[in-house]
Amino acid sequence: MEPLAHEGLGRLLELHGRRTPLALGADAGTKLLPGKSLGDGGVLKLGRRKLALPSQPLGRDTAQAPFLALSDDVAVLDGAAAHHPRQLVEMLAAAREEAGWRRLLYAPTVEPAGMPLLAYLGVDLFDSLTAELRGVAGFRLEQGDWIPDAKATAASNRKALAGWLARIRSALEQGRLRELVERTALHNPRVTQLLHHSRDLLATRGARRATGIRAGALSFDHPAVNEWRRRLERFAPPAEGMVLLLLPCSARKPYHWSNSHRRFHRTLRSLNNWLALHVVSVTSPLGLVPRELEMLHPAAHYDVGVTGHWDANEREMFGRQLERLRPEDNYKKAVVHAGSASGMLAELLRERGVEVLETGAERPVSGAGLGALGKACRTALRGVASLSGRDRSCGEATGLAQVQFGKLAAPLLTAPVQGRWPRLRLGELANFSPRIGGFALTVRGAATLAEAGGPVVEATEFRLRGDLFAVGVTGTRGKFRNGDQVAVEQGGEITAAGVARMAPSEMVAMERGLAVEVRNRG
Amino acid sequence: MADVFAEFVNGAKQEPPAHPLDQPVATWTEREVLDGAEVEAGVAILRTRGCYWSIREGCAMCGYFNDTVPGGVSTEALLAQWAQVMRHLDGKRYAKIYTSGSFLDPTEVPLDFAAQAMAEMHAAGVEKVLVESLPEFVHARHMDYGAAPALEVAIGLESATPLVLDKCVNKRLKWDGFTRSCANARDAGASVKAYVLLKPPFLNEAQAIDDAVASVERAAPHVDKVSINPVNVQRHTVVERLWKRGEWSAPWLWSVAEVLRRTADCGVRVYSDPTGGGTQRGAHNCGTCDRTLLDGLTAHRLGGGMPAAACDCRGRWKALLAQGGVRRDGAEPHGYRRGFRAGRGF
Repeated sequence: MEPLAHEGLGRLLELHGRRTPLALGADAGTKLLPGKSLGDGGVLKLGRRKLALPSQPLGRDTAQAPFLALSDDVAVLDGAAAHHPRQLVEMLAAAREEAGWRRLLYAPTVEPAGMPLLAYLGVDLFDSLTAELRGVAGFRLEQGDWIPDAKATAASNRKALAGWLARIRSALEQGRLRELVERTALHNPRVTQLLHHSRDLLATRGARRATGIRAGALSFDHPAVNEWRRRLERFAPPAEGMVLLLLPCSARKPYHWSNSHRRFHRTLRSLNNWLALHVVSVTSPLGLVPRELEMLHPAAHYDVGVTGHWDANEREMFGRQLERLRPEDNYKKAVVHAGSASGMLAELLRERGVEVLETGAERPVSGAGLGALGKACRTALRGVASLSGRDRSCGEATGLAQVQFGKLAAPLLTAPVQGRWPRLRLGELANFSPRIGGFALTVRGAATLAEAGGPVVEATEFRLRGDLFAVGVTGTRGKFRNGDQVAVEQGGEITAAGVARMAPSEMVAMERGLAVEVRNRG
Repeated sequence: MADVFAEFVNGAKQEPPAHPLDQPVATWTEREVLDGAEVEAGVAILRTRGCYWSIREGCAMCGYFNDTVPGGVSTEALLAQWAQVMRHLDGKRYAKIYTSGSFLDPTEVPLDFAAQAMAEMHAAGVEKVLVESLPEFVHARHMDYGAAPALEVAIGLESATPLVLDKCVNKRLKWDGFTRSCANARDAGASVKAYVLLKPPFLNEAQAIDDAVASVERAAPHVDKVSINPVNVQRHTVVERLWKRGEWSAPWLWSVAEVLRRTADCGVRVYSDPTGGGTQRGAHNCGTCDRTLLDGLTAHRLGGGMPAAACDCRGRWKALLAQGGVRRDGAEPHGYRRGFRAGRGF
């Protein structure tokens, strides 16, 4: 049993030569076998291996905790096909605590359309029972949907279901399971409800995985997008009394690699005291992206269709984002040069009592637009205290570290800030990594963080040469999630720093699989 | 530690509403067979304190406590009810006197009242009377009525499988207790009818059929006839909770017919009169063949042949049964019986 990939609460497991999530009875060589007597849950077969199922939930109220029926190897979520979405999410939230990581989580008789979401929420096993009955009733499974077809049979649906599960597995491997879930949710009320109710669960316990987001209508609730918006609360601009400059986002990420932002930069660079301009990009679904944060996931990893039309949802989201940025306290004034979003943003800023200069450019990157930008900024910068490059770098490092590490950032910021964004360094504690999109901790940095209560993975004493695998993990300290930076401690000493690739309790429980991707060793 | 299942049963219950004490719960007439001939039977449900077991814990499928009066009903009120029942029984040769509990429980139906009722029926020319009771009350001293019509005692066996009684029904009935009760009733000159449940909560369709057949076969030597009771959804019960949640659905009428077919040779009369048959809360099929099968069941009850119908939902029922070994609860996909088609439209 080896976890190969995670997304949300879901996991791709290597299991006796097969990969989960799988559907018993549909995937080749897997089967549910009946129990020997009434109430006996029977056995599930994976190739030649047999795993006993827990007994039937006779006399049990499946809506009351403990929700799961447990056998040695399997935990069954009885009623998964029937329970109210809110109830089901509550059950799934408790599932790993009840079942642990080494039991397979089985959700019986669920509809194929629900499978991507349940896999995303941690279910390992499904079955083909519902698909078979649909076949008998004359419906064929196609992309998770039921199509009336007189020629459909139980057998043909089992085959189609195997294909559907293969698709779920490959999506999970690629980190695109969320997309498959959103697609099924779009036209399935039950999945939509489940997805809605699982938002907090995913945002607090899901794995952080830096795959690109191809934004759609449901991406407003994407856990990474949600988290981005919440993390903006911890952000502060590099210095007090700067001028806020709102620019449009670009198709190319990170923004400063794009042609449009290069042209903006060339225009701004020629101004006196241009360092006192704080560039914040305006985008959907993330909202506001300050320049220092634009390499962080998901700011550098999303794609969205730009229409020039901003709907009520987006307007509300920008309003809330500005609330978090507190421009009335943090900036002296604001320049808005954001194309189609300009009017809306200027209005929102004025509502907050900020002095706003609008460039009024319809096409921000055109020669005229850049001219207007330069003029507006020159006006805005008049009378603004000058900001040195060193002070600005210190401020940028502080803002980035606070967004990345929250309260734990303080001990890191005692180190001298070196270099200029994006190549910032915090002494010997952290340096900028494009892959992490922000500060990557060195061993000393991880140790500093660990002293302040940061995340630590305790490992057995051996000579760590490459990555740390689950077999070597003995325990964890501090709070972290799959995808966070952690310190590796061996024999009371921090020996490496890297990125966790499993949840804390999972890396302790599992015996195989990558636990920490090591980046720096002592 | 309190029994989880008992808690589930009690949690589903609610205080019954206020009822008039001098009115029986209901009276009606139905066709019955008496000595090989078809007669009109008078049926009445008396309003009483209700089943003692229901007051303590109760059964998972039984909602009869909804019709009871928790404080109890005085003998005067019972007599007032009885006067109306007697008017209803005028000219009937067969009477069925139910309570929402046990007629033979002297703390629920006082002995002197019962004796008076029996005497009045005897005088009015009723030849046979059916009463229901929990097995623990079936004893000669509770049936000592003097002049009375021939007595038939109906006992709820529900299932002959201890696991089903314990974990699906919540009835503390031992097999020995049941056979002793049957013997007691026969010794007192009464005939015995057993109720067997079809599809108690938590069982799937195939398990339910197997369990009902096994129960009938085991009970047959001890009783005179067996009534198959397909579980229906009564208010404020565990069954209703599971049904609303979609974890259990009422049995198919095909299953009822199947149990009758498989128990046809067991030596006693086995029949079924499904409560709420053809509705979502009772045994039902796809909606097209329900009427035919229900009429067939009635005909079979009155001495006719096995119920039969031709309908494409039978194939779906068979497919569901084929999954009996691996389905963990009594549910099926919503709309499956109808073949996922919408209703009949306008």
